[in-house]
Amino acid sequence: MMGSEIGAALAAVLAWDVLLFLVAGTVLGAIFGALPGLTATMGVAVLTPLTFWVSTEKGLAMLIGIYCGAIPAGGIPAVLMNIPGTPASIAAAWDGYPLARSGRPGLALGVNAVFAFVGQLISILFLALAAFPLASFGLRFGPAEYFALAVFGLSLMAGVSGGRLLEGLLAGCLGLALATVGLDPMTAHPRFTFGSAELLDGLAFVPAMIGLFGLGEVLARMMEGSAGAAAAPAAVSRIRPSWPQLRRMAAPGLLGSGIGTLVGAIPAAGGDIASVIAWEQARRLSRRPQEFGGGSIEGLAASASAANAAIGGAMTTMLALGIPGDAPSAVLIGALLIHGVQPGPLLFRDHGALVYSILFLMLLAALLILAIGLAGARPLARALRFPESWLWAAVILLGVVGSYALNNSVADVWVMFGAGLLGLLCRRAGVPVGPLVLGMILGPMMESNLRRALILSRGDWFGILRRPLAAALLGAAAVSLAWPAWKAWRTRSYSDPSAKA
Amino acid sequence: MKRSELAAALAFLLFGSLLWSAAAGFPPGVGGLPGPGFFPRGIAAVMVALAAAWLARARRRPSGPPSVPATGAPQAKRVVLTVILLAAHLALWGRVPFPLRTFLFAALYLRCFDEPWRRALPLALGSTASVVAAFEYGLGVSLP
Repeated sequence: MMGSEIGAALAAVLAWDVLLFLVAGTVLGAIFGALPGLTATMGVAVLTPLTFWVSTEKGLAMLIGIYCGAIPAGGIPAVLMNIPGTPASIAAAWDGYPLARSGRPGLALGVNAVFAFVGQLISILFLALAAFPLASFGLRFGPAEYFALAVFGLSLMAGVSGGRLLEGLLAGCLGLALATVGLDPMTAHPRFTFGSAELLDGLAFVPAMIGLFGLGEVLARMMEGSAGAAAAPAAVSRIRPSWPQLRRMAAPGLLGSGIGTLVGAIPAAGGDIASVIAWEQARRLSRRPQEFGGGSIEGLAASASAANAAIGGAMTTMLALGIPGDAPSAVLIGALLIHGVQPGPLLFRDHGALVYSILFLMLLAALLILAIGLAGARPLARALRFPESWLWAAVILLGVVGSYALNNSVADVWVMFGAGLLGLLCRRAGVPVGPLVLGMILGPMMESNLRRALILSRGDWFGILRRPLAAALLGAAAVSLAWPAWKAWRTRSYSDPSAKA
Repeated sequence: MKRSELAAALAFLLFGSLLWSAAAGFPPGVGGLPGPGFFPRGIAAVMVALAAAWLARARRRPSGPPSVPATGAPQAKRVVLTVILLAAHLALWGRVPFPLRTFLFAALYLRCFDEPWRRALPLALGSTASVVAAFEYGLGVSLP
């Protein structure tokens, strides 16, 4: 059974047209990741409509290519210009940029490319080993457990909203509220449709994503000011690291891969958090900690591998449980649903070959991005000179046409427009957009499972808490919400003696 | 207290209240079980409570450095113009042919960023042609 599924997956993935879509997706992802002003999440959101007209395999190939290509390419502007192309590349700038400034930009790009590959490879291995047992564990979940899992995922996302717990929770609630638009999942009663037939199916998710992460991000960056061409990067020298350098970076690279995979697997904690933790741990364990932050190849290897290993970790939770690991994988869920792929335990039971196809596609994308990183770093570095205003125009036009193309509906384009304005307002008010999206994804799952659980327990709320796994997940959600609040209170009372008194 | 924070907290408070009152009109559940309004009202209640807590925190807290970079008048003007141009583009959907509408949008957008006409016009033409070629001819989407 497993052998036939692997064979079918290999045959599907190795078709020339699927490979072509994978290459196109990886290159487009690399462009989105490498250009400051465009992000991996934006890339997945804006380019998803390009996959509507193709088969599931081709669509998956392109989407996975975009996701796996954008994260490593985000390290290119981080290294050359000290501007992270994606949030996951923040820590790559700490050592990559000083290394480039010291006359070795090629080496910095090479380390980024090689250890992005190492990180992705190790996390794909983890995905292959951990996702199947996790999914079969997930098959034991009932409505109470699914409800508790959704609450847990949302609490984690809000808890890691960069010290903005209240804002994160409110954003999550807003997402849950938006998810209630349309027919009630149990009684089919129309809710908040205002008499519009187009809203009966709910708010169109993909246009909303394009608006929040495409138009919203563009408008927010416009508001911040820069629109001209980025600073021209230095000429790129020798890219491939030598063997002694690779040996020196092996341990921090493996450490970063392990940390990145595990952190990525935690719902809501993505490559940005993973790379910072990995960099710090590598510095602690290094024989040359004083070099970290000043152009250490070990620091760069640890951060690059962790940022990329988070991809496999995030995909593990997303595919096995249907809970997105980070913002790009949240958007990816919506894109997969368009292709009829519902992430979760049933995907592993009913469509095992598809899961293997995803694994092989990720593996091929990792190899491709290594080739692009080593051979294509120079042209990508030249592309950094495009003025941001031109790129923004391209994102807006792609967003408009892509939203329309979903259902040939102008209403979807207005949804994209409204979501863009909402995204701008959220960013200006310091409200994180990630929990909002997670709320929109988890809302239907949370509501229908809560109501099913209450029906099964005949309206008894404590019936949910009597299920050990559901109670454990709800307890973990409470801890993840209470922890940042407690930490903030502790910090305040230590810094303010009057508060202590 | 920060004005943007206060405004956002008030907006959430208002939204939560509206959500609560709108969901109150939904039919009740059968046999004591939750109906269509149960979940939205629950969310509304949590939102109102959280927004009130945020409001209280925002009022207590002294004004600090802005969490997002300050915006100058030219940047704000560009954003407003882009939004107006995009809204006009969408409002004219089906009335003015897509290529003409998109060309005008792109050209005027680029002018907002001080691109000279001699560069804005060819760029707008190129981007319009690319979008039409990719979606209308490549993917078979009918763009009215």
